[in-house]
Amino acid sequence: MVMAVKRPQRNNRATNGRWFDVLAGLSPLVVLLTVWELVGSPDSPFYPAPSAWWPALFTRGQGEDIIPAIIDTSRTFGVGLVLATVVGVAVGVGVGASERTDRALGPMFEFARALPPAAIVPVATLLLGFDETMKVAVVVLAAVWPIMLNTRTGVRSIDPVLLDMARSLKLSRAHTVGKVLLPAVSPAILLGVRVATPVALVITLLVEYLTGVSGVGALVGDAQRTFQPARVYALIVIAGLISLAVNSLVRSLEQRVRRRHAGGGR
Amino acid sequence: MGRDNGTRRWDALNPGGVAVLLAAACLWEVFVRADVANIQFLPAPSEIAVAARQAVMDGELLGRIVHTVGVTLLGWGAASIVGFGLGLVLGLSNTAYRYSMTSFEVTRAIPPITFVPAALLIFGFSLRMELVLVIFGGVWPVLVNTIGGVHSVPSELRDVSTMLRLNRWETVRKIVMPAALPEVVVGLRLALSLCLVLAIVAEIVGNPEGIGNGLIRARQALQPALMFVYVIVAGLLGVVLNALFRRAVRLLLPNGTVHEERSW
Amino acid sequence: MSFECRSVSAEVGKSGAARIVLDDVSFHVAKGEFVSIMGRSGAGKTTLLRVLAGLQQPASGSIVQFEGRNVDGPPDGVGLVFQDYTSALLPWRTVAANVALPLEATVTNPERRARVEATLEMVGLADRADDRPPQLSGGMQQRVQLARALASRPSALLMDEPFGALDALTKSDLEDELLALAATTATTVVFVTHDIDEAVYLSDRVLVVAGEPAHVAADIAVDCPRPRTQIRTRESPEFLAVRSRVHEVIFGTR
Repeated sequence: MVMAVKRPQRNNRATNGRWFDVLAGLSPLVVLLTVWELVGSPDSPFYPAPSAWWPALFTRGQGEDIIPAIIDTSRTFGVGLVLATVVGVAVGVGVGASERTDRALGPMFEFARALPPAAIVPVATLLLGFDETMKVAVVVLAAVWPIMLNTRTGVRSIDPVLLDMARSLKLSRAHTVGKVLLPAVSPAILLGVRVATPVALVITLLVEYLTGVSGVGALVGDAQRTFQPARVYALIVIAGLISLAVNSLVRSLEQRVRRRHAGGGR
Repeated sequence: MGRDNGTRRWDALNPGGVAVLLAAACLWEVFVRADVANIQFLPAPSEIAVAARQAVMDGELLGRIVHTVGVTLLGWGAASIVGFGLGLVLGLSNTAYRYSMTSFEVTRAIPPITFVPAALLIFGFSLRMELVLVIFGGVWPVLVNTIGGVHSVPSELRDVSTMLRLNRWETVRKIVMPAALPEVVVGLRLALSLCLVLAIVAEIVGNPEGIGNGLIRARQALQPALMFVYVIVAGLLGVVLNALFRRAVRLLLPNGTVHEERSW
Repeated sequence: MSFECRSVSAEVGKSGAARIVLDDVSFHVAKGEFVSIMGRSGAGKTTLLRVLAGLQQPASGSIVQFEGRNVDGPPDGVGLVFQDYTSALLPWRTVAANVALPLEATVTNPERRARVEATLEMVGLADRADDRPPQLSGGMQQRVQLARALASRPSALLMDEPFGALDALTKSDLEDELLALAATTATTVVFVTHDIDEAVYLSDRVLVVAGEPAHVAADIAVDCPRPRTQIRTRESPEFLAVRSRVHEVIFGTR
């Protein structure tokens, strides 16, 4: 996964300085879009000007498809991510807690993990058909790995003192798991979910694009096949916005949990 | 792909794991033959093996592999050069960084997959489309990690270069680049995996060559066993390319610069 | 009788590579006594404490009893304080919630709150009840652990080098607080440490554990008068005499 870029330490900026950077950093994009606007024409078959993008969403009465498509994409992504989390945590805990299970299931998992989701899509459509189930299945297959691996690491790095402590306080099994183990593992799980989120979104869009079942990806594919480049670009922007929104949401969620664990300010 | 210790530990002395794998394959075989869940088109491992043998003997498999790997490596090479060069500039020049970073972050947030349709529109069903996609996608990991690597050069080292009176170019060559190297290597590795995946996607959608296309052909001909062969080959290619990359890094940079970035 | 050990042996490590850490250890701890288990690092003191706590099974033939009953798993009425407070406290719970943890299954809400308040009052942390452990200093975190252990109203406390990670000044404060608490609540205390001065200062008896595998090398009574004070007691001839004896035993035995 691509990591976030660290800013150079030698610059101490005040908060308003930060905002300036964020806006200033947009200059290449702004320049590019401006030049494009000036140079391109709305009818260009390849590079329609940006001003043509938004209207293109609504031509031929296709405007009403947009919101349902966004909902479809969100649903597949959401369900897929949730299922991937459930499966990933369950397997990750099992594998993290038992060294033997870990070694036994290892090769199988390595094999499955190596298969690129893009290649799995055609197989999935053949075996499962062209429906929501197939979409979700592929998303889960792709997104489960980071969650499972991070949960596994989290379980393995639980401090043994915590377990001793729980035993010495005579906590029941359920209470030990619920009150001590799960909270201790949750930062790791959330890290896994954060890594899995862009994966789930990308795969959702990919499946939609390749299969045309439903969602924004399907709209993009449709626009491309019917030679509506402005619409394609507009939908790409929409996809990007969804991606940005989802990623920052998960990131802030992860930070909140992380802060609870670090106790904040000492 | 995060397999250093995992590979060594799991390959050596893991009869249990291998046994489980074989047992799973046998179960699968039985499952299909007994037609338990009535999933139409699910091939049994034996059928996959037969199809694999056939594809190898046809020579078609090899040709497709060569194409996909060729495009991947070519695109990855170009992407690495562009990404590294651009990354160096942006990393070294504070001004350039400030005035461009948000743009890159925003563009980066858009998954490369979404550019496939645009690429198709502009370049049609061609090798060029595949290459453009591979290069465009591959630039980002290299770019971002190069910038990160340059930024992570400790300020003390910069003081060292001032003390030694190194000029700008020497500073970059002798101090910044080696210090940034570990992170750049990580970016290169991520880009390699990404380039392979993009090549395959491009082949599935647009360029009638390579593994991706083989996969689609098999699907159109309703040959699930052959499809599985291509899927497995795709996975193997990823593993092999990754392993070769690590081997190359270990040989060329013996100072142990491969460091893990993965979630393991 | 609080604790009774007879011919206790224990192993550490996975089967095959197990190491016999304790061999034929026998001693007893009377009700209300403060006993220190002293020895070099790695001598087996922690293992012995874990056996007493029911966290570790001793080898067969060992007899470990708490208040007349065989110890099989953590016994009721025994509280345990760990050395590593960062790992033994839950950073995502407030101080009050941490102290309440052992009571959640057994005591009802109003009673629970009352007890938590009372125990925090005892250790002087009533005003930090809503903070989280990482916001507290090391000494305070140890007091939270102590409070948690005391919340269940144990008749005995087992403490594994609880002040080992603290600075000297905090240490002496906590030593005195512990003595006061033990006296007020009449709790039996078994205190593991590698600090000779601490062991002698705190206890009624010092058990020296030494040798490989470890056994009880000496059982020395400390006849310094109570209440003890940091300066006066530590300068008294009785203190110095016991201290030398312990020193002799430890450094005489290899």
